[in-house]
Amino acid sequence: MRARYPDTSATVVRDGVTLGYEVFGDGPITVLLLPTWTIIHSRFWKMQVPYLSRRYTVITYDGPGNGRSDRVTDPSRYSADAYAADALAVLDACGVERAIVVGLSMGGQYGTALAASHPDRVSGLVLVGPSLPLVPPSPERAVIAEHFTMPYPENASGWATYNLAYWHDHYEDFTRFFFSQVFSEAHSTKPQEDSVSWASETGPEILEAEANQPTAASYRSVSSVAAPADATAHWSGLLEQIVCPVLVVHGTHDRIQPHATGVEAARITKGTLVSMEGSGHIPNVRDPVRFNLVLRDFIELVAS
Amino acid sequence: MRASEPITVGTLERAGVTIAYEVHGSGDLTLLMVPPAPITHSRIFKAQVPYLSRHYRVITFDARGNGQSSQPSDPESHTRAENVADMLAVLDATSTDAAILVAHCHANWWAVEFADEYPDRVLGLVAIEPGVPYLGTPQPHWLETGPHWDEVLEDPQGWELNNKHVYINHHRRWLEWFFGQQLVESHSTKQFEDAIAWGLESTGSVLVAGEEGAELDPPSRQEFEELVARIEYPVQVIHGDLDICQHVDKGKAFAEATGGDVLVLEGAGHLGLARDPVTVNRTVKHFADRIGGVTMESHVWVRGASRRKRALYLSSPIGLGHANRDLAIVKELRTIHPELEIEWLAQAPVTGVLEAEGERVHPASRWLASESGHIASEAAGHDLHCFQALRTMDEILVANFMLFQEVIDEGNYDLVVGDEAWDVDYYWHENPELKRGEHAWMTDFVGYLPMPSGGDHEAYLTADYNAEMIEHIAQYPRIRDRSIFVGNPDDIVPDTFGPDLPKIRDWTEEHFDFSGYITGFTPPTPDQAAAWRSELGYGPDEKICVVTVGGSGVGTDLLEKAIAAYPIAKQSVPELRMIAVAGPRIDPASLPSHEGLEVHGYVEKLWRHLSVCDLAVVQGGLTTTMELAASSRPFLYFPLANHFEQTYHVRHRLDQYGAGQHMDYHATDPDALAAAIVSELSAAVNYRPIETDGAARAAALIASLI
Repeated sequence: MRARYPDTSATVVRDGVTLGYEVFGDGPITVLLLPTWTIIHSRFWKMQVPYLSRRYTVITYDGPGNGRSDRVTDPSRYSADAYAADALAVLDACGVERAIVVGLSMGGQYGTALAASHPDRVSGLVLVGPSLPLVPPSPERAVIAEHFTMPYPENASGWATYNLAYWHDHYEDFTRFFFSQVFSEAHSTKPQEDSVSWASETGPEILEAEANQPTAASYRSVSSVAAPADATAHWSGLLEQIVCPVLVVHGTHDRIQPHATGVEAARITKGTLVSMEGSGHIPNVRDPVRFNLVLRDFIELVAS
Repeated sequence: MRASEPITVGTLERAGVTIAYEVHGSGDLTLLMVPPAPITHSRIFKAQVPYLSRHYRVITFDARGNGQSSQPSDPESHTRAENVADMLAVLDATSTDAAILVAHCHANWWAVEFADEYPDRVLGLVAIEPGVPYLGTPQPHWLETGPHWDEVLEDPQGWELNNKHVYINHHRRWLEWFFGQQLVESHSTKQFEDAIAWGLESTGSVLVAGEEGAELDPPSRQEFEELVARIEYPVQVIHGDLDICQHVDKGKAFAEATGGDVLVLEGAGHLGLARDPVTVNRTVKHFADRIGGVTMESHVWVRGASRRKRALYLSSPIGLGHANRDLAIVKELRTIHPELEIEWLAQAPVTGVLEAEGERVHPASRWLASESGHIASEAAGHDLHCFQALRTMDEILVANFMLFQEVIDEGNYDLVVGDEAWDVDYYWHENPELKRGEHAWMTDFVGYLPMPSGGDHEAYLTADYNAEMIEHIAQYPRIRDRSIFVGNPDDIVPDTFGPDLPKIRDWTEEHFDFSGYITGFTPPTPDQAAAWRSELGYGPDEKICVVTVGGSGVGTDLLEKAIAAYPIAKQSVPELRMIAVAGPRIDPASLPSHEGLEVHGYVEKLWRHLSVCDLAVVQGGLTTTMELAASSRPFLYFPLANHFEQTYHVRHRLDQYGAGQHMDYHATDPDALAAAIVSELSAAVNYRPIETDGAARAAALIASLI
């Protein structure tokens, strides 16, 4: 059973792709909780929706490739710009002019792209552990680009499983490893199980398409890497364009995106940085109470 | 002493009337505190100003008719128009473009008219128990007594005292009736005394002029309702539901009509700002924060599982007495919990001792209002009315509590140790929802006792304070997680807390654990004592008499008397050397000098000198006398006059140990003191031993909380 069921559960079709969205509550302020890397779907906001929807209108939706959205294999639908267009389509479908937009990890790219291109639609932007290539990645992840499309070694383990062929052969094994890194905090069995389960609703074909999105080579930081200078310049430039208030929340023990990424994003946007000491990559799931309170403070600040 | 001093003090003249104002604090956002004169003046906001001015610029002024402002006695000088013009003049005089108005009672009527006339000058209004016309329910006593305002009544009683002739001829009687009715909360003696004292700074005639002036230019109901309907600035109403000056319905109606928020203080009367200052302060600040558009501060939040254990230690700042025992406890605490991070919230002179020991003093400590300075300011000669000094310290206690609470709200402390941190203990009981972490409460005396000079009234007051404390603990046992009495059951005085109240010892044994006494040092063995004497430059044949008056700055008189006795005593005991220690707050150069007399300011590790001297002359403070008792040194002690703790609690404890020679300062002239010095130098010492494990026992009691 869910703690809060949607008041509206519907779909919107953008350019032939059906996207499932949900609306909770009817408060005067709207909060749009963006999708993230499509390996999981909108249920990763389950710790936020019941609380926020008591005060605000909360919209969640599934990006292409997971949840109630089409399993798209066209890579072009996975670019940040495509996600931004999807988000606008959902806002339009809900009749929402402006929203506070919250993006986790890859959702940080989508939110940044949306806020930079449509400042009139975004009243505040929250970046949670954003996947933005602003600082060098951790050494373990820096090598992904080199081996991602190569054959994987026998007995591959750890970050070596972040490999296209391995995904096809041992998808669930990869997801178990990946979410063990995402939830690096002790005693995270339930969030890990949840995520692995959500990951099972999509598959390697979808993740492959997502990895091949046209702009990946220049600014994808999840599978690729070493933040090439042009990618850094691209995302820094977009962040500089953002005019709305920005909140960055970043765990100091984030193994997916270094905490320094959040520090840099807050610096560029002149935003507020809330560092969650000891937290991993998805603090909204692992430290939901504090996260919710911080998010509420930001929403109230933007609303005033 | 006030908890915070203004940055600017000024007066302005307007049509022959002087208005006095003050500016506290600084910042882009200004709050103008508007007092309901002439029945009171700007000091009614004394519990708000120190706290708010740490965050914002705060202007106070005495509205015409009271305080430092002129007191015109013609009604024409007291119209709303005049008061509104004064508010404008104060903003102009302080170069304030616009302010949040914080008004009490009928000053809110001035405030809304001011805002209507000068909308650009007002950012918002905090309406505390607002006295605005027409809205809500009028209090019946105002309606009933209004028609008889100008009648000469034969024997007016109760609300009939609301009468022009009573105001003029029996001003105090009216004030006492009025404020007695308003302070519906029990244990409001201090707030009542303040209100009467401020009221009496004006006169009955001026109060009459204030009442009649307000009637000269009243708007019609329609006009006023239209004015209220025009209000666009944010409004926060704060109103006690038992207010019998302004009915709570009035505050609610005002909030509803203006789209404002209302905070109802349930169980509170008309003086919530004085009686429940903590919640009022936080509400005003929250309102100002919203208007100021305070941005969200970047910060670090530490996951519960990632936190280190942290303690905040509050050492009583009155004098230096507790620093050594608190350091000794902390040392023991660290042997039990080596990982424990300890920060101190403390004031000078304690901070000096802590820093010398390498302890971490919380940076917010510098904002603490000086309790030590207050106590010194309350002393006169060898006289310190300790109980009254604690009462008049009320605004310092609330100011320091507000600071403490900010530190606690942000610091993730697992434990708060309060060694006689009266502010924390009192206001957590008054605001139990604010308590965080475990709270270990420590004290070395329990129960306020009246001094004979205070008569029946003081006996009533001490009983009232004791009763409030007993009620606090009974109602909220969760506020003190551990109560430690620094001493033993026999050290507790045999008195009761007051009429119909328990015996102090019975109650204390029921509610406290006992650590035994904590000296903070181990007395020297005879061999060590000889070595220390040599280190300190005290010859084996010299007779060393140490005179010390502690760190509080109270004690010049005793120093001077001892110094006067010195040459007399030296005639009988030629080898007598006197070491006079003035402490950090008395200038040694201000004292006379003699051959063989040395005067020092602050002396580090004074207890070493005391533990090897041949005689000490001291006040009646617990720490110094017990240091001497622990080292089996002969000593003469002079309790400060009117100091209940030194007179009763300390003396009772010293008697348990058979320690020291009690002296009466006023009955002892230099000759008598010299004679006592000579005789005590050769007296045999046979004190009961004092335990040396007190710090370890206290630490164990505290450590079990975490």
